[in-house]
Amino acid sequence: MRRTVRIGAALAAALVVAGWWLTRPQTISAGDLPVREPDPVAGEAVFWAGGCASCHATPVDGERARGDAKLRLGGGAELDTPYGVFRVPNISPHAADGIGSWSMSDFVNAMQRGVSPQGRHYYPSFPYASYARMSTADVMDLKAFIDTLPEVEGETPDHSLDFPWNLRRGIGLWKRRYLSRIPVVQFDGAAAEVLRGAYLVEGAGHCGECHTPRDRFGGLLAGQWLGGAPAAEGEGKVPNITPAAKTLSGWSAGDISYYLESGFTPEFDTVGGTMVAVQENMAKLTKADRDAIAAYLKSIPPVE
Amino acid sequence: MPDMKIRVPLLLAALAIATSVVADDDPRHVRHELMEGVRDAAKPVGLMLRGEAEFDGEQLMQSLMVWQDAAGQFGGLFPEGTESGMDTEAAPAIWTDRAGFDAALAKWATAVDAAIEAAPDTLEAARPVVGPVFQTCKGCHDNYRISDE
Repeated sequence: MRRTVRIGAALAAALVVAGWWLTRPQTISAGDLPVREPDPVAGEAVFWAGGCASCHATPVDGERARGDAKLRLGGGAELDTPYGVFRVPNISPHAADGIGSWSMSDFVNAMQRGVSPQGRHYYPSFPYASYARMSTADVMDLKAFIDTLPEVEGETPDHSLDFPWNLRRGIGLWKRRYLSRIPVVQFDGAAAEVLRGAYLVEGAGHCGECHTPRDRFGGLLAGQWLGGAPAAEGEGKVPNITPAAKTLSGWSAGDISYYLESGFTPEFDTVGGTMVAVQENMAKLTKADRDAIAAYLKSIPPVE
Repeated sequence: MPDMKIRVPLLLAALAIATSVVADDDPRHVRHELMEGVRDAAKPVGLMLRGEAEFDGEQLMQSLMVWQDAAGQFGGLFPEGTESGMDTEAAPAIWTDRAGFDAALAKWATAVDAAIEAAPDTLEAARPVVGPVFQTCKGCHDNYRISDE
Protein backbone atom coordinates (compact mmCIF):
# COMPACT_ATOMS: atom_id res chain seq x y z
CA MET A 1 0.00 0.00 0.00
CA ARG A 2 2.67 2.45 1.00
CA ARG A 3 4.55 1.47 -2.11
CA THR A 4 1.58 2.28 -4.35
CA VAL A 5 1.28 5.71 -2.74
CA ARG A 6 4.94 6.32 -3.28
CA ILE A 7 4.78 5.33 -6.95
CA GLY A 8 1.66 7.46 -7.42
CA ALA A 9 3.39 10.47 -5.89
CA ALA A 10 6.46 9.92 -8.01
CA LEU A 11 4.31 9.71 -11.16
CA ALA A 12 2.43 12.89 -10.27
CA ALA A 13 5.70 14.70 -9.64
CA ALA A 14 7.05 13.44 -12.96
CA LEU A 15 3.93 14.75 -14.72
CA VAL A 16 4.32 18.16 -13.12
CA VAL A 17 7.97 18.30 -14.14
CA ALA A 18 7.15 17.16 -17.69
CA GLY A 19 4.33 19.69 -17.94
CA TRP A 20 6.59 22.45 -16.65
CA TRP A 21 9.25 21.47 -19.14
CA LEU A 22 6.80 21.22 -22.06
CA THR A 23 5.31 24.65 -21.41
CA ARG A 24 8.58 26.49 -20.72
CA PRO A 25 9.14 29.70 -22.68
CA GLN A 26 11.84 29.22 -25.31
CA THR A 27 14.00 32.16 -26.18
CA ILE A 28 16.96 33.11 -28.28
CA SER A 29 19.98 34.89 -26.80
CA ALA A 30 21.71 38.07 -27.92
CA GLY A 31 24.52 36.00 -29.41
CA ASP A 32 22.09 34.35 -31.85
CA LEU A 33 21.14 37.67 -33.48
CA PRO A 34 22.61 38.54 -36.86
CA VAL A 35 25.48 41.02 -36.55
CA ARG A 36 24.28 44.17 -38.31
CA GLU A 37 23.40 47.81 -37.71
CA PRO A 38 19.57 48.06 -37.54
CA ASP A 39 18.12 50.51 -40.07
CA PRO A 40 15.24 52.69 -38.78
CA VAL A 41 14.29 53.83 -42.30
CA ALA A 42 13.80 50.26 -43.47
CA GLY A 43 12.07 49.67 -40.15
CA GLU A 44 9.37 52.20 -40.95
CA ALA A 45 8.27 50.10 -43.94
CA VAL A 46 8.16 47.05 -41.65
CA PHE A 47 6.12 49.05 -39.13
CA TRP A 48 3.36 49.79 -41.66
CA ALA A 49 3.46 46.29 -43.13
CA GLY A 50 3.09 44.91 -39.60
CA GLY A 51 0.09 47.06 -38.73
CA CYS A 52 1.54 47.81 -35.26
CA ALA A 53 -0.32 51.11 -35.00
CA SER A 54 -3.71 49.57 -35.70
CA CYS A 55 -3.70 47.99 -32.25
CA HIS A 56 -1.03 49.85 -30.26
CA ALA A 57 -1.71 53.50 -31.18
CA THR A 58 -3.55 55.13 -28.30
CA PRO A 59 -7.17 55.87 -29.28
CA VAL A 60 -8.08 59.57 -29.52
CA ASP A 61 -11.42 60.49 -27.89
CA GLY A 62 -12.45 56.85 -28.01
CA GLU A 63 -11.84 56.66 -31.76
CA ARG A 64 -9.01 54.91 -33.56
CA ALA A 65 -5.93 57.06 -34.03
CA ARG A 66 -5.49 58.79 -37.37
CA GLY A 67 -2.59 60.59 -39.03
CA ASP A 68 0.40 61.29 -36.78
CA ALA A 69 -1.49 59.96 -33.74
CA LYS A 70 -0.73 56.51 -35.16
CA LEU A 71 2.86 56.99 -34.02
CA ARG A 72 1.91 57.34 -30.35
CA LEU A 73 2.07 53.69 -29.30
CA GLY A 74 0.76 54.02 -25.75
CA GLY A 75 -1.77 51.21 -26.15
CA GLY A 76 -5.02 51.29 -24.22
CA ALA A 77 -7.41 49.83 -26.79
CA GLU A 78 -9.43 46.79 -25.75
CA LEU A 79 -10.33 43.69 -27.74
CA ASP A 80 -13.55 42.13 -26.52
CA THR A 81 -13.31 38.50 -27.71
CA PRO A 82 -14.90 35.14 -26.84
CA TYR A 83 -11.81 34.41 -24.66
CA GLY A 84 -12.26 37.56 -22.60
CA VAL A 85 -11.00 41.13 -22.83
CA PHE A 86 -7.47 41.68 -24.14
CA ARG A 87 -5.91 45.04 -23.30
CA VAL A 88 -3.34 46.41 -25.69
CA PRO A 89 -0.07 47.37 -23.96
CA ASN A 90 2.15 50.43 -24.30
CA ILE A 91 4.97 49.70 -26.79
CA SER A 92 6.19 53.28 -27.09
CA PRO A 93 9.89 53.85 -26.30
CA HIS A 94 9.00 55.13 -22.79
CA ALA A 95 11.56 53.50 -20.47
CA ALA A 96 9.21 52.67 -17.58
CA ASP A 97 5.77 52.30 -19.18
CA GLY A 98 6.71 51.19 -22.69
CA ILE A 99 9.53 49.14 -24.17
CA GLY A 100 12.26 51.79 -24.02
CA SER A 101 14.45 49.70 -21.73
CA TRP A 102 14.26 46.55 -23.85
CA SER A 103 17.35 45.06 -25.45
CA MET A 104 17.30 43.92 -29.06
CA SER A 105 17.01 40.29 -27.99
CA ASP A 106 14.08 41.19 -25.68
CA PHE A 107 12.31 42.64 -28.70
CA VAL A 108 13.08 39.72 -31.01
CA ASN A 109 11.90 37.23 -28.36
CA ALA A 110 8.64 39.13 -27.97
CA MET A 111 8.00 39.39 -31.70
CA GLN A 112 9.09 35.93 -32.80
CA ARG A 113 8.87 33.69 -29.72
CA GLY A 114 6.01 35.39 -27.89
CA VAL A 115 8.08 35.68 -24.71
CA SER A 116 8.35 38.80 -22.52
CA PRO A 117 11.65 40.11 -21.11
CA GLN A 118 10.54 38.59 -17.77
CA GLY A 119 10.29 35.20 -19.47
CA ARG A 120 6.49 34.99 -19.53
CA HIS A 121 4.39 33.85 -22.47
CA TYR A 122 2.43 36.47 -24.36
CA TYR A 123 -1.07 35.65 -25.49
CA PRO A 124 -1.30 35.07 -29.25
CA SER A 125 -3.71 38.02 -29.54
CA PHE A 126 -0.31 39.63 -30.11
CA PRO A 127 0.19 37.97 -33.52
CA TYR A 128 3.71 36.60 -32.94
CA ALA A 129 2.61 33.34 -34.57
CA SER A 130 2.65 35.37 -37.80
CA TYR A 131 5.58 37.61 -36.90
CA ALA A 132 7.64 34.44 -36.32
CA ARG A 133 7.77 34.14 -40.13
CA MET A 134 9.47 37.52 -40.53
CA SER A 135 13.21 37.75 -41.02
CA THR A 136 15.05 38.61 -37.81
CA ALA A 137 16.71 41.46 -39.72
CA ASP A 138 13.31 43.04 -40.43
CA VAL A 139 12.35 42.70 -36.75
CA MET A 140 15.58 44.43 -35.72
CA ASP A 141 14.93 47.29 -38.16
CA LEU A 142 11.43 47.62 -36.74
CA LYS A 143 12.80 48.13 -33.24
CA ALA A 144 15.18 50.76 -34.54
CA PHE A 145 12.18 52.63 -36.01
CA ILE A 146 9.99 52.30 -32.91
CA ASP A 147 12.92 53.71 -30.88
CA THR A 148 12.55 56.96 -32.86
CA LEU A 149 8.83 57.41 -31.97
CA PRO A 150 7.39 59.56 -29.16
CA GLU A 151 7.54 58.25 -25.60
CA VAL A 152 4.02 57.85 -24.25
CA GLU A 153 3.36 57.68 -20.51
CA GLY A 154 0.96 55.29 -18.86
CA GLU A 155 0.82 51.57 -18.23
CA THR A 156 -2.25 49.69 -19.39
CA PRO A 157 -4.00 47.13 -17.16
CA ASP A 158 -3.60 43.39 -17.78
CA HIS A 159 -6.06 41.27 -19.80
CA SER A 160 -9.23 39.90 -18.13
CA LEU A 161 -9.63 36.41 -19.55
CA ASP A 162 -11.96 33.56 -18.75
CA PHE A 163 -10.85 30.14 -17.46
CA PRO A 164 -8.94 28.25 -18.83
CA TRP A 165 -7.47 30.98 -21.03
CA ASN A 166 -6.26 32.87 -17.94
CA LEU A 167 -3.66 30.10 -17.30
CA ARG A 168 -0.79 31.79 -19.07
CA ARG A 169 1.63 28.90 -18.74
CA GLY A 170 -0.66 26.80 -20.96
CA ILE A 171 0.35 28.99 -23.91
CA GLY A 172 3.57 26.93 -23.93
CA LEU A 173 1.55 23.96 -25.18
CA TRP A 174 -0.29 26.18 -27.66
CA LYS A 175 3.03 27.32 -29.09
CA ARG A 176 4.23 23.73 -29.49
CA ARG A 177 1.26 23.11 -31.72
CA TYR A 178 0.83 26.41 -33.59
CA LEU A 179 4.04 28.44 -33.53
CA SER A 180 6.16 27.76 -36.60
CA ARG A 181 8.46 29.66 -38.91
CA ILE A 182 7.57 27.43 -41.88
CA PRO A 183 5.52 29.19 -44.62
CA VAL A 184 1.82 28.28 -44.63
CA VAL A 185 1.48 27.87 -48.40
CA GLN A 186 4.15 25.72 -50.04
CA PHE A 187 4.90 26.90 -53.59
CA ASP A 188 6.75 24.88 -56.16
CA GLY A 189 8.92 27.22 -58.21
CA ALA A 190 6.76 30.33 -57.73
CA ALA A 191 7.86 33.72 -59.06
CA ALA A 192 9.87 35.93 -56.73
CA GLU A 193 6.92 38.34 -56.60
CA VAL A 194 4.60 35.62 -55.22
CA LEU A 195 7.18 34.63 -52.60
CA ARG A 196 7.58 38.27 -51.55
CA GLY A 197 3.78 38.45 -51.23
CA ALA A 198 3.79 35.28 -49.13
CA TYR A 199 6.43 36.80 -46.86
CA LEU A 200 4.33 39.95 -46.37
CA VAL A 201 0.92 38.28 -45.98
CA GLU A 202 1.97 35.33 -43.81
CA GLY A 203 4.54 37.28 -41.78
CA ALA A 204 4.40 40.96 -40.93
CA GLY A 205 0.99 41.57 -42.55
CA HIS A 206 -0.54 38.84 -40.34
CA CYS A 207 -3.58 38.74 -42.65
CA GLY A 208 -4.40 35.18 -41.60
CA GLU A 209 -5.05 36.27 -38.00
CA CYS A 210 -8.41 37.73 -39.08
CA HIS A 211 -9.12 36.12 -42.46
CA THR A 212 -8.53 32.48 -41.37
CA PRO A 213 -10.93 30.62 -39.08
CA ARG A 214 -9.62 29.22 -35.77
CA ASP A 215 -10.06 25.88 -34.04
CA ARG A 216 -11.36 25.63 -30.47
CA PHE A 217 -7.91 26.34 -29.01
CA GLY A 218 -7.62 29.54 -31.01
CA GLY A 219 -5.11 28.12 -33.50
CA LEU A 220 -5.49 28.96 -37.20
CA LEU A 221 -6.96 26.18 -39.38
CA ALA A 222 -4.24 25.90 -42.03
CA GLY A 223 -6.57 23.97 -44.37
CA GLN A 224 -8.86 27.00 -44.56
CA TRP A 225 -6.08 29.55 -44.92
CA LEU A 226 -7.54 33.01 -45.69
CA GLY A 227 -10.92 31.38 -46.35
CA GLY A 228 -12.87 33.89 -44.24
CA ALA A 229 -13.82 33.73 -40.56
CA PRO A 230 -16.15 35.12 -37.93
CA ALA A 231 -14.83 38.46 -36.65
CA ALA A 232 -12.90 38.22 -33.37
CA GLU A 233 -15.03 41.05 -32.02
CA GLY A 234 -18.75 41.49 -32.53
CA GLU A 235 -20.95 39.56 -34.91
CA GLY A 236 -19.43 40.42 -38.27
CA LYS A 237 -17.69 38.18 -40.77
CA VAL A 238 -14.21 38.66 -42.19
CA PRO A 239 -14.33 37.80 -45.90
CA ASN A 240 -12.71 34.96 -47.79
CA ILE A 241 -9.76 36.37 -49.79
CA THR A 242 -8.71 33.20 -51.62
CA PRO A 243 -9.27 32.82 -55.39
CA ALA A 244 -12.60 31.06 -54.60
CA ALA A 245 -13.98 34.09 -52.74
CA LYS A 246 -17.40 35.26 -53.86
CA THR A 247 -16.28 38.85 -54.31
CA LEU A 248 -12.53 38.73 -54.72
CA SER A 249 -12.56 36.04 -57.43
CA GLY A 250 -13.75 38.69 -59.88
CA TRP A 251 -10.90 41.06 -59.03
CA SER A 252 -7.69 41.17 -61.06
CA ALA A 253 -4.33 41.38 -59.30
CA GLY A 254 -4.30 45.04 -60.38
CA ASP A 255 -7.70 45.55 -58.71
CA ILE A 256 -6.43 44.10 -55.42
CA SER A 257 -3.30 46.22 -55.51
CA TYR A 258 -5.30 49.36 -56.28
CA TYR A 259 -7.73 48.58 -53.46
CA LEU A 260 -4.84 48.32 -51.00
CA GLU A 261 -3.43 51.60 -52.31
CA SER A 262 -6.62 53.67 -52.55
CA GLY A 263 -9.33 51.93 -50.55
CA PHE A 264 -11.58 51.68 -53.60
CA THR A 265 -13.02 48.40 -54.89
CA PRO A 266 -13.25 47.76 -58.66
CA GLU A 267 -16.86 49.01 -58.43
CA PHE A 268 -15.54 52.11 -56.65
CA ASP A 269 -17.23 51.38 -53.40
CA THR A 270 -14.95 52.21 -50.46
CA VAL A 271 -13.20 49.96 -47.97
CA GLY A 272 -15.16 49.53 -44.73
CA GLY A 273 -14.94 48.33 -41.15
CA THR A 274 -11.69 47.24 -39.55
CA MET A 275 -10.09 46.93 -43.00
CA VAL A 276 -9.93 50.74 -43.26
CA ALA A 277 -6.98 50.92 -40.87
CA VAL A 278 -5.30 47.98 -42.60
CA GLN A 279 -5.72 49.60 -46.02
CA GLU A 280 -4.24 52.85 -44.73
CA ASN A 281 -1.19 50.88 -43.61
CA MET A 282 -0.93 49.07 -46.95
CA ALA A 283 -1.10 52.43 -48.74
CA LYS A 284 2.26 53.24 -47.14
CA LEU A 285 4.02 50.23 -48.71
CA THR A 286 5.70 50.40 -52.10
CA LYS A 287 3.60 49.60 -55.14
CA ALA A 288 5.86 46.60 -55.74
CA ASP A 289 4.91 45.19 -52.32
CA ARG A 290 1.19 45.76 -52.89
CA ASP A 291 1.51 44.05 -56.29
CA ALA A 292 3.32 41.17 -54.56
CA ILE A 293 0.48 40.76 -52.05
CA ALA A 294 -2.01 40.70 -54.92
CA ALA A 295 0.07 38.14 -56.84
CA TYR A 296 0.22 35.92 -53.75
CA LEU A 297 -3.55 36.13 -53.12
CA LYS A 298 -4.12 35.09 -56.73
CA SER A 299 -1.81 32.06 -56.29
CA ILE A 300 -2.97 30.48 -53.04
CA PRO A 301 -5.25 27.41 -52.85
CA PRO A 302 -8.93 28.35 -53.19
CA VAL A 303 -11.11 27.77 -50.13
CA GLU A 304 -14.77 27.20 -51.02
CA MET B 1 -64.59 32.29 -38.15
CA PRO B 2 -61.61 30.69 -36.44
CA ASP B 3 -59.37 31.55 -39.38
CA MET B 4 -59.77 35.25 -38.73
CA LYS B 5 -57.32 35.04 -35.81
CA ILE B 6 -54.58 34.00 -38.17
CA ARG B 7 -55.67 36.01 -41.15
CA VAL B 8 -55.66 39.46 -39.59
CA PRO B 9 -52.04 39.40 -38.38
CA LEU B 10 -51.01 37.88 -41.69
CA LEU B 11 -52.78 40.63 -43.55
CA LEU B 12 -51.17 43.26 -41.35
CA ALA B 13 -47.74 41.72 -41.91
CA ALA B 14 -48.27 41.68 -45.67
CA LEU B 15 -49.43 45.28 -45.55
CA ALA B 16 -46.37 46.27 -43.54
CA ILE B 17 -44.05 44.64 -46.07
CA ALA B 18 -45.94 46.16 -49.00
CA THR B 19 -45.80 49.68 -47.59
CA SER B 20 -42.12 49.40 -46.80
CA VAL B 21 -41.46 48.37 -50.40
CA VAL B 22 -43.46 51.15 -51.99
CA ALA B 23 -42.16 53.92 -49.71
CA ASP B 24 -39.98 55.40 -52.45
CA ASP B 25 -39.79 58.76 -50.77
CA ASP B 26 -38.43 57.34 -47.50
CA PRO B 27 -35.12 59.15 -46.90
CA ARG B 28 -33.39 55.81 -46.32
CA HIS B 29 -34.41 54.73 -49.80
CA VAL B 30 -33.65 58.05 -51.46
CA ARG B 31 -30.18 58.39 -49.93
CA HIS B 32 -29.34 54.79 -50.82
CA GLU B 33 -30.25 55.35 -54.49
CA LEU B 34 -28.40 58.65 -54.50
CA MET B 35 -25.30 56.98 -53.05
CA GLU B 36 -25.41 54.28 -55.73
CA GLY B 37 -25.49 57.01 -58.34
CA VAL B 38 -22.42 58.57 -56.71
CA ARG B 39 -20.61 55.24 -56.84
CA ASP B 40 -21.60 54.59 -60.46
CA ALA B 41 -20.30 58.03 -61.44
CA ALA B 42 -17.02 57.25 -59.66
CA LYS B 43 -16.21 54.16 -61.68
CA PRO B 44 -15.36 55.75 -65.07
CA VAL B 45 -13.36 58.49 -63.34
CA GLY B 46 -11.56 56.00 -61.09
CA LEU B 47 -10.53 53.94 -64.11
CA MET B 48 -9.07 57.10 -65.68
CA LEU B 49 -7.09 57.84 -62.52
CA ARG B 50 -5.86 54.23 -62.45
CA GLY B 51 -4.71 54.62 -66.03
CA GLU B 52 -7.03 51.85 -67.17
CA ALA B 53 -9.23 54.10 -69.30
CA GLU B 54 -8.50 57.02 -71.64
CA PHE B 55 -8.91 60.44 -70.08
CA ASP B 56 -12.35 61.81 -70.96
CA GLY B 57 -12.91 65.36 -69.75
CA GLU B 58 -16.59 65.31 -70.67
CA GLN B 59 -17.22 62.14 -68.66
CA LEU B 60 -15.32 63.65 -65.75
CA MET B 61 -17.49 66.79 -65.77
CA GLN B 62 -20.63 64.65 -65.96
CA SER B 63 -19.57 62.70 -62.87
CA LEU B 64 -18.63 65.87 -61.02
CA MET B 65 -22.13 67.23 -61.71
CA VAL B 66 -23.69 64.06 -60.30
CA TRP B 67 -21.61 64.52 -57.15
CA GLN B 68 -22.39 68.20 -56.85
CA ASP B 69 -26.09 67.42 -57.04
CA ALA B 70 -25.77 64.61 -54.47
CA ALA B 71 -23.67 66.74 -52.12
CA GLY B 72 -26.46 69.31 -52.12
CA GLN B 73 -29.06 66.71 -51.15
CA PHE B 74 -27.36 64.45 -48.59
CA GLY B 75 -27.53 66.96 -45.73
CA GLY B 76 -31.33 66.74 -45.66
CA LEU B 77 -31.60 62.98 -46.07
CA PHE B 78 -30.67 61.86 -42.56
CA PRO B 79 -33.57 63.15 -40.42
CA GLU B 80 -34.35 61.85 -36.92
CA GLY B 81 -36.17 58.55 -37.11
CA THR B 82 -34.15 57.15 -40.02
CA GLU B 83 -31.27 55.91 -37.87
CA SER B 84 -32.07 52.26 -38.58
CA GLY B 85 -34.19 49.98 -40.71
CA MET B 86 -34.20 49.25 -44.44
CA ASP B 87 -30.65 47.88 -44.16
CA THR B 88 -29.31 51.40 -43.79
CA GLU B 89 -25.54 51.61 -43.53
CA ALA B 90 -25.74 55.05 -41.95
CA ALA B 91 -23.68 55.05 -38.75
CA PRO B 92 -25.20 56.29 -35.45
CA ALA B 93 -22.45 58.95 -35.45
CA ILE B 94 -24.43 60.90 -38.05
CA TRP B 95 -26.99 61.65 -35.36
CA THR B 96 -24.67 61.80 -32.33
CA ASP B 97 -22.13 64.01 -34.11
CA ARG B 98 -24.15 65.96 -36.66
CA ALA B 99 -21.65 68.83 -36.78
CA GLY B 100 -18.86 66.40 -37.66
CA PHE B 101 -21.00 64.77 -40.33
CA ASP B 102 -21.95 68.12 -41.84
CA ALA B 103 -18.29 69.17 -41.86
CA ALA B 104 -17.24 65.92 -43.59
CA LEU B 105 -19.99 66.39 -46.16
CA ALA B 106 -18.95 70.00 -46.71
CA LYS B 107 -15.35 68.89 -47.30
CA TRP B 108 -16.53 66.62 -50.06
CA ALA B 109 -18.77 69.32 -51.58
CA THR B 110 -15.88 71.79 -51.50
CA ALA B 111 -13.57 69.33 -53.24
CA VAL B 112 -16.21 68.67 -55.92
CA ASP B 113 -16.79 72.40 -56.49
CA ALA B 114 -13.06 73.03 -56.77
CA ALA B 115 -12.70 70.27 -59.36
CA ILE B 116 -15.57 71.69 -61.41
CA GLU B 117 -14.01 75.14 -61.16
CA ALA B 118 -10.68 73.77 -62.40
CA ALA B 119 -12.34 71.97 -65.33
CA PRO B 120 -9.24 69.85 -66.01
CA ASP B 121 -8.69 68.79 -69.60
CA THR B 122 -5.79 66.38 -69.07
CA LEU B 123 -5.18 63.49 -66.68
CA GLU B 124 -2.23 65.38 -65.17
CA ALA B 125 -4.46 68.36 -64.46
CA ALA B 126 -7.24 66.14 -63.14
CA ARG B 127 -5.21 64.14 -60.60
CA PRO B 128 -4.58 66.92 -58.05
CA VAL B 129 -8.21 68.12 -58.08
CA VAL B 130 -10.05 64.80 -58.39
CA GLY B 131 -7.87 62.98 -55.84
CA PRO B 132 -9.31 65.03 -52.93
CA VAL B 133 -12.86 64.25 -54.13
CA PHE B 134 -12.17 60.52 -53.80
CA GLN B 135 -10.35 60.91 -50.50
CA THR B 136 -13.12 62.99 -48.92
CA CYS B 137 -15.82 60.58 -50.01
CA LYS B 138 -13.83 57.71 -48.47
CA GLY B 139 -13.01 59.82 -45.41
CA CYS B 140 -16.68 60.42 -44.64
CA HIS B 141 -17.46 56.68 -44.89
CA ASP B 142 -14.72 55.95 -42.38
CA ASN B 143 -16.71 57.70 -39.62
CA TYR B 144 -20.28 57.78 -40.78
CA ARG B 145 -20.95 54.49 -42.52
CA ILE B 146 -21.14 51.08 -40.87
CA SER B 147 -19.83 48.04 -42.66
CA ASP B 148 -21.56 44.67 -42.83
CA GLU B 149 -18.23 42.91 -43.02
